[in-house]
Amino acid sequence: MSLPELSLHGLERPDSLGSVCERLAERAARGEKTVLLAGGTDWFVERHVAPATDGSEAELVLDVSRLPELRGISASGDTLWIGAATTYLELRRHPVVAARVPLLPAMSKDVGAVQIQARGTLGGNLATASPAADGVGALAALDATVHLLSVRGPRSIAISDYFTGYKRSVRAADEVITGFTVQMPGEGSFQYWRKVGTRLAQAISKVALAGVAEVSDGQVTRLGLGMVSVAPTTAFLPTVRALALRRPLDRIADSALDAATQADVSPIDDVRSTGDYRRHVSGALVREFFRTLRSR
Amino acid sequence: MSNVGTSVPRTDGPSKVVGTAKYVDDLSMPGMLHGATLRSPVARGILKRIVKDPAFDWTGITFVDATDVPVNVVALIQDDQPVLASHEIRHRYEPLALIACDDALRLARAARHVTFEIEPLPAIFDPRASFERREIVAPPDNVFGRYRITKGDAEAALASCEVVVSGTYSVHHQEQLYIEPQGVIAWFDERGAHVHGSIQCPYYVQKGVKKTFVLTESDVDVVQTVTGGGFGGKEEYPTVISLHALLLAKKSRRPVKMIYDRQEDIEATTKRHPAEIGIVTGCDRDGTLRAISIHVLMDGGAYVTLTPVVLSRGILHAAGAYRWEHVLAEAVAVATNTPPNGAFRGFGAPQTIWAVERHLDKVARQLGMDPLVLKSNNVLRVGDTTATSQTLKESVGIGECIEKARTASDWDRKRALGPVVQGRKARGIGACVFMHGAGFTGSGERRLKGRVALDLLLGGRVRIRTASTDIGQGTETVFSQIAADALGLPMSQVEFLQPSTARVPDSGPTVASRTVMVVGSIVEAAARELKERIDAEQAATGLDRRRAMDALVFRAMGTAEHVYDTPRDLEWDDATYRGDAYPVYGWGCDIAEVEVDLDTFETKVLGFWAAADVGKAIHPTHCKGQIEGGTLQAIGWALHEQIVWKDGAILNGRMTNYIVPTSLDAPPFTTLLVEAPYSRGPGGGAKGIGELPMDGGAPAIAAAIEHATGISMDNLPCLPEDLFERARKGRAA
Ligand SMILES: Cc1cc2nc3c(=O)[nH]c(=O)nc-3n(C[C@H](O)[C@H](O)[C@H](O)COP(=O)(O)OP(=O)(O)OC[C@H]3O[C@@H](n4cnc5c(N)ncnc54)[C@H](O)[C@@H]3O)c2cc1C
Repeated sequence: MSLPELSLHGLERPDSLGSVCERLAERAARGEKTVLLAGGTDWFVERHVAPATDGSEAELVLDVSRLPELRGISASGDTLWIGAATTYLELRRHPVVAARVPLLPAMSKDVGAVQIQARGTLGGNLATASPAADGVGALAALDATVHLLSVRGPRSIAISDYFTGYKRSVRAADEVITGFTVQMPGEGSFQYWRKVGTRLAQAISKVALAGVAEVSDGQVTRLGLGMVSVAPTTAFLPTVRALALRRPLDRIADSALDAATQADVSPIDDVRSTGDYRRHVSGALVREFFRTLRSR
Repeated sequence: MSNVGTSVPRTDGPSKVVGTAKYVDDLSMPGMLHGATLRSPVARGILKRIVKDPAFDWTGITFVDATDVPVNVVALIQDDQPVLASHEIRHRYEPLALIACDDALRLARAARHVTFEIEPLPAIFDPRASFERREIVAPPDNVFGRYRITKGDAEAALASCEVVVSGTYSVHHQEQLYIEPQGVIAWFDERGAHVHGSIQCPYYVQKGVKKTFVLTESDVDVVQTVTGGGFGGKEEYPTVISLHALLLAKKSRRPVKMIYDRQEDIEATTKRHPAEIGIVTGCDRDGTLRAISIHVLMDGGAYVTLTPVVLSRGILHAAGAYRWEHVLAEAVAVATNTPPNGAFRGFGAPQTIWAVERHLDKVARQLGMDPLVLKSNNVLRVGDTTATSQTLKESVGIGECIEKARTASDWDRKRALGPVVQGRKARGIGACVFMHGAGFTGSGERRLKGRVALDLLLGGRVRIRTASTDIGQGTETVFSQIAADALGLPMSQVEFLQPSTARVPDSGPTVASRTVMVVGSIVEAAARELKERIDAEQAATGLDRRRAMDALVFRAMGTAEHVYDTPRDLEWDDATYRGDAYPVYGWGCDIAEVEVDLDTFETKVLGFWAAADVGKAIHPTHCKGQIEGGTLQAIGWALHEQIVWKDGAILNGRMTNYIVPTSLDAPPFTTLLVEAPYSRGPGGGAKGIGELPMDGGAPAIAAAIEHATGISMDNLPCLPEDLFERARKGRAA
């Protein structure tokens, strides 16, 4: 988006979450388009590709990046709350996250580069509902709960129920994502993050895998997987999960893992990679996840 | 006092670091309009009609089409490319019309209200199909250039060689991706036409403006503004955007600024020429190389632009840095319906060097020899003759380059060890040996007669006037070093005039690794002449140095203008392509160590050793910068970069999806400077360094990948997807 095009958009900075919800409700009722501005790192790119050409097409921008209700990370017992406007850099620097959910800082370090990490947020990552969203891959592996709020009230849904299709979700036009809760993996849990991108920084994932596992007596007792860029939405790999959960680790064969992975992914050719390569890498990452888990 | 050989602070550094340097988009003119280009949505067709939406309010919008162009050609080698297409369209993104407006937002809106009625024609994207004339897309025969080099009798020799190896190799497009996109501001006033912009070669633009607007030299002033990189991409292309801006300026009678955004720049401007190269070689069983036969087919894109010259440089480097008794090299460039390919660092040589280096790796494999030993045993030395039968008389530092790179990288041990596989990762090491002609090819410099002027200014200062531009590579600093030393003055008393065709003599284009070696030597000669005048003045008058300099200025004796003293003993025959192709060569040996992930086929470059014979490093830090930067550009070409085409359109015209390496992807570099001085080089023997580092990276990387994995890549790029496909095919076979 060019600077003159930016000037077509109105900008408001509501001072409370309540007024954001009210503004959203009013405008949604009138069929008017509104965008919530968190880091702006997705929205600016989107508008660059498809700029508004006159004021009537331009959506109103509501800046939510400074709302205290959407910010911050806190732990209560084993439950971790992450506000929707939390940035990747905040995730990288939080001591509890680093100790208990190292998957999140590992993922955050691979997002864009430090400038994007300082602005981009987990809420924005989910709201775009792109299958290439790295943060969502991690949230999927953590089986996070998504919290939404509107004038009609709050609701909480499992992240696996959030998506309805490519860049589509159950979130209504008047709803704000307020944050996420995550059951923090226990001591000695295994957490895995590997991103295969187009290069080492400033790269969108060709394939990435986030994984969480707990093992007790050689048996997988908790298993979460989230795979990026291999399906119309973030892939939860249900067949792989079903194959391995509550199974003795040493009885999970690579060939079975491969078959399960291939059943769970449906990657395509695009400018970044090929469907064939993505299929191959999907299998390799799942195998690596279990190989590493076994060798611990 | 010696500045040459020392890494002095760069003279243009402070203004760039603090942000006061003015790039063209930082400039503004009173009453200035913004201009935009409306481009073809098809790859080939006949333009029937341009339709301006009658419902749109066109007031205040200047509109230009082919009917507004006085002489509708972009003057370069051939006059085949129109400034704006009037009838035939030969590539997607071809300029069809121009608009300008003082309000950038209305401009963008207006652009969406122009449509083109086009009768599509079948397009050709495969150079082979073009060569076979399956469609004539550039009359009469699709051919943009042909060259042939012969030495001895290659065919007969091949028939009797002990070991004959053949192979076919190919390389792909590459985008220059200079950090500052193309841009100019242009206007007319009572003195004529003015262009200020991001330009590598101001005199090329002047030539184009003269032709299109039927003007004389004194009517056209082209000024280079601070330029953020070029890599060849701002050699010929700025003529096009300058002509467009001037057309809008002429019609609107206002200054017009045109700045491409990244996507437009990637889509519409020139790229490196793709090529397919077939090689057959013959050698003895002990690895003594005897004969080589090479066939090059280059993809020129839609118009001739600089293709014949790129093809020429390509074929001149095609036999590599080796001794062959028998050479047959034939090259053809053909038209396709993609935007014209053009100048890019290396200028045809990286393409053919890729092929010959991959080929020799294959020969070594067949002979069971260490490839670096094979290459080193056959490399050219002083007294040997090249493919064009040029006898090398001096400044051949390749032996030292190979030794240095080999030792520093611990080649012998690592190569003998074979691939080191740890878990799912395999390490390997590969090498490339190469040379690059410095300066113009053949009789180019003699024809050009580059000129430079140095002026004494009051107060003991000296000013350099040349058309050689500093586009980030350090021309300004290096010329100042050379002039200061030749004059015996501190660098702080030397200044560099912003290149402008009205104020600087034509020292030739800033291309072909000629700036330091050729133009630098003219600067040095002019500076020496001034010094002699000052010395004589002092001797005659007894004045101190400063007063003697002022006295010369007062007597109008303060300017020394010099013409390049072309080495007289060079002989070149354009008809047979035989003789001294270049006055001298830069030499290099690159060694890459990589680690390939056997699951994902990602290649990580663990180390890169680049040894380069530069003759004399006038500014060692700049030299190393050129070597590291050029090598990284070559690594990008091999491992990351790829234009994704669909029906002549580019699908990845943005920095997010045209992937170049970031600093994290850059390997640790060990740069080894070798100085085998060139007797006619400035500063004690400098040769060109601009292009050389682009030549060795890709073959060295591919060789290392092969050593690590056994996957032998004959075609660029070596993206993970390509390695994966090769491995899969290998398994299937
Ligand atoms: C150079 C670059 C590199 C990048 N690299 C990566 C990468 O490596 N991995 C990756 O996954 N992504 C990457 N991205 C994409 C982007 O940075 C991330 O998706 C980021 O998390 C988006 O967050 P944001 O706060 O900037 O979103 P914004 O742009 O502010 O918002 C995006 C969308 O989300 C909506 N939204 C924001 N907050 C809320 C909320 N609380 N409730 C409801 N809707 C909301 C907005 O209305 C908007 O539609 C990159 C982007 C750029 C420009």
